[in-house]
Amino acid sequence: MKKVLAITMAALMVAAMFAGCTPAGTAGGNAKNTEFVIGMSGPLTGGAAVYGVAVKNAAQMAVDEINAAGGLNGVNFKLIATDDQHDATKVATNYANLMNQGMQVSLGTVTTAPGLEFKPLAKEDNVFFLTPSASGDKIPEFDNGFQMCFADGNQGAVAADYVNNAGLTKIGVFYKSDDSYSNGIYKQFKENLDADIEVVETSFTEATSTDFATQISQLKECPFIFMPIYYQPAAVFMEQAKNEVPAGVTYYGCDGFDGLAGQLDLTTIPQEVSMLSHFDATATEGKAAEFVKKYTEKFGAETLNQFGASAYDCVYAIYGAMKELIDEGKEVTPQTTASDLCDMLKAKFTGGYTLAEGATGANIKWNADGTVAKGAVKYNLK
Amino acid sequence: MSKFRNVKWKQYVAYLLLIAATCYFGFFGLQRSLDRITTILLEKAAVAMILAVSLNLVVGFLGELSLGHAGFMCVGAYLGAKTAVALTASMGPGNELVILLISLLVGGVAAAVCGVVIGLPALRLRGDYLAIVTLAFGEIVRSIFENLPDEMFGGSLGQQAVRYIRHHLFIIGFILVILTLAIIQNFIRSKHGRAVTSIRDSEIAARATGINVTKYKLMVFTISAFFAGIAGVLFSFTQNKVQPTTFDYNYSIEILVMVVLGGMGSLNGSLIAALLITYLNEQLQIVLTGDLAVLRGLMYALVMILLVIYRNAPALKVFREKASIKNLLAKLKTHDPSKIHDDEASWDRVPTKIMVDEVLSVDIQPQSPYTPDKQWKEEK
Amino acid sequence: MKFLETLLNGLSSGSTYAMIALGYTMVYGIAKMLNFAHGDVIMVGGYTLFVTAMTMGMHPLVALLLAVICCAILGVTIEKLAYKPLRGASPLAVLITAIGMSYLLQSMAQMIFGSADRMVRLFDLGKINIGSFRISAYTVVTLSCSAVIMVALSLFVKYTRIGRAMIAVSEDKAAAQLMGINVNFIITITFAIGSALAAFAGFFMVLKSPPVNSTLGAMPGIKAFTAAVIGGIGSIPGAMLGGILMGVVESFAQTSPVIAPFTVAIEFSILIVILLVRPSGILGKKRREKV
Repeated sequence: MKKVLAITMAALMVAAMFAGCTPAGTAGGNAKNTEFVIGMSGPLTGGAAVYGVAVKNAAQMAVDEINAAGGLNGVNFKLIATDDQHDATKVATNYANLMNQGMQVSLGTVTTAPGLEFKPLAKEDNVFFLTPSASGDKIPEFDNGFQMCFADGNQGAVAADYVNNAGLTKIGVFYKSDDSYSNGIYKQFKENLDADIEVVETSFTEATSTDFATQISQLKECPFIFMPIYYQPAAVFMEQAKNEVPAGVTYYGCDGFDGLAGQLDLTTIPQEVSMLSHFDATATEGKAAEFVKKYTEKFGAETLNQFGASAYDCVYAIYGAMKELIDEGKEVTPQTTASDLCDMLKAKFTGGYTLAEGATGANIKWNADGTVAKGAVKYNLK
Repeated sequence: MSKFRNVKWKQYVAYLLLIAATCYFGFFGLQRSLDRITTILLEKAAVAMILAVSLNLVVGFLGELSLGHAGFMCVGAYLGAKTAVALTASMGPGNELVILLISLLVGGVAAAVCGVVIGLPALRLRGDYLAIVTLAFGEIVRSIFENLPDEMFGGSLGQQAVRYIRHHLFIIGFILVILTLAIIQNFIRSKHGRAVTSIRDSEIAARATGINVTKYKLMVFTISAFFAGIAGVLFSFTQNKVQPTTFDYNYSIEILVMVVLGGMGSLNGSLIAALLITYLNEQLQIVLTGDLAVLRGLMYALVMILLVIYRNAPALKVFREKASIKNLLAKLKTHDPSKIHDDEASWDRVPTKIMVDEVLSVDIQPQSPYTPDKQWKEEK
Repeated sequence: MKFLETLLNGLSSGSTYAMIALGYTMVYGIAKMLNFAHGDVIMVGGYTLFVTAMTMGMHPLVALLLAVICCAILGVTIEKLAYKPLRGASPLAVLITAIGMSYLLQSMAQMIFGSADRMVRLFDLGKINIGSFRISAYTVVTLSCSAVIMVALSLFVKYTRIGRAMIAVSEDKAAAQLMGINVNFIITITFAIGSALAAFAGFFMVLKSPPVNSTLGAMPGIKAFTAAVIGGIGSIPGAMLGGILMGVVESFAQTSPVIAPFTVAIEFSILIVILLVRPSGILGKKRREKV
């Protein structure tokens, strides 16, 4: 009998213990906001941290600038950056955390993999997000998602177009097989490439990304090497290949190439280096140069890349759109719910809203499918 | 009533707490009024608890180090998600629970098959050599899923998964935890479990007493893999995409940390440690945002090192014993020697070498005319 | 020709693995523990090279010397702080602290040096012409250096007092102690040597690919550990053999676009197959279990 009693007592105690915490808390929502809250999730630590940190820094810089200039009708912006370590399983918590802290509009995620997890969550609550750099083709799948960077597939198709018209008969490809960015571009590239062009395909993975000697000896007979990869492995490749590959060869990359200049001294590379991108960190004029100068003064050149530039533009694009909404007489306050704001912003972004001048291009517009419409420029880095 | 008195209620406390938690949170979950962060935490905790308990079976009871538990989970998650996607396409909405159950079965069985495969080298290898083989297995599985053509498992972007109703999934998760715990605990307390622990204590002695070591090792790896697969399927239902990078060796190590912190061979310990580590991770992630994020890894590592040293350092033994809850409780109540029962010793704590007699009685071939069990029954 | 080139590339990356694997093997042989933080010592070596050679502008060889000293001190410190209190405890507990140490080093590196890559450029080794055949000087340097290191290490272990004490400790700790060997001192020395080797490995890694970041040592660490096990953990020539084998396999796997993505899977499969045939590695000693 004693045992029964003990067990009942224990059960009661447990129940009391649980009752102590309030799982059904009403925390969250933006009813108490005093500022417009922009939320983001990105890899602030771990192997991909350089992208997340660049986005966080640049977005914070834009927010500070806007606030210093008086905010939006006197209301300040606030950026909350959460860390997902480039791990999709951490996104749900970050999203919930951001919503609890009153997020009204989002920069989505920095990288694609977590972005695929973020996308349905944001759709569920109808939260507007404009991602600076999650370039996966499926990221803007739903009506509330927009991109500031070019989608991977588009980049691949454009690059294939370029190669088709360049009069080449043999090209080399060097891509990262376990990376969605690299894969996404290369897949579309392959599909759009003329069948009579001979392709020497080489690849590497995260686990084999320090020594490219084997790939270099495969590729050294190609006059043109397409590298849909980020700048860090590209820099390693170029340095290891500079004495192996003939000097006339062209390395051709996409927007991931940006940042190369910070990684190595391009003048020591005898080969041609060019990229099709929306941002050039070595720009000397226009908004891009202005951004580069301000960013470098504040955070140094190590984390300067197109991710940051895109994030900077994202914040200004959102700010500009919200300003236009207010000018049109719509009610946009820190208390406007994320869903209401989302509907207004969606209409704005698909209705021909233009960011006149940004670090990653001028007259930036958005297509109905959420992808960005802006000019990609072929930069000859070297 | 007499039967009831023999119940060691300490062993059932875990069930009680789990059931209480399921009912309590389930109540809010069914009303869909549970805070999002709590829901996610509960889901993650359920997955972690199943993983930790199932890994403990290998590490704590069989005494073999496995660094590839996430590999089994990976198999379960991928195949479970694939099944769920296919079933959702053919059965349509409204059948979520049925789809979930079928997927669980498919994922679990697939992982169990892998368990047999990895159990085979375990017959030849021991200790750290087996550990590296399991680690290699985990990485191979992950790498294969990642690099198969996109049409099969989505390649580097990951396999599409079916997100289960968020407010309800953790209830199913907790029910699965309770089932896992019940099955594994009963397995350990059965004659098979005793055979397994005897292999841990001395494989040679166990073999000499006629225990079929091959059979039991394979059995343990299979059961453990099955539940890791179940955890994987459950995990896949918490996600919209199952991504290969999730299942790297760091994840296997995280599960191992839960088992070691909870105490090897203690299922309740594994449950508590799994809950604690999941909670710690979530809280650090929520609190440390922006510039502070870099502190998260540091704090996690420090907590881990200090906890392990505190719990295991031989020099701190005296201090530990003084500060342990058991001793503090013992100070409160007086002992009556006449009330100490033989069976007060719980299975997890008794070194099995003492139990050799019982083990001996286990594996005698059925054709032998004399078996202790039979005789005992006849006496009854 | 292509074949020879691929082989040489494999040998050169393999010798780096071998150097890391030597550290794993020595520590395992003496302390009977998997030092998961070993890979991150390489990373610390890389950052030391960055600070000394790039920021302070020292000569690369001086920088290497400093990196070796730094890493040796770090290795000993880790051992004293994290592993020594656990001597006599369950080996799993030590494994977990080692992993914790690895996380700790990585996050500290990120706190101090930030998330962006730090570039370490030391020499430009260029090419050596042998007749019509051009061979990268890097390959020659790494191969010969690791061969020298291995021979020196073998001689050290065989012919010096400390080296023999190491063998004794690895055979039987208690008996060695009875013979008057200071076991703690030997373990400290082993960690120092192992970590110094990690610094050498770090040097060769940045010579090949300049970016240094907080996860620099993680993957090479795991691969080198695999190499050590393939060769027979505890055996010095075994570590060398395993490392070279890993490098060559990796190099050849990467020549085919179909197989290349599966490189890591292939390496690990080889490990499993070898262990199934020879349960204690290629050159590992077979231990008979006694009752």
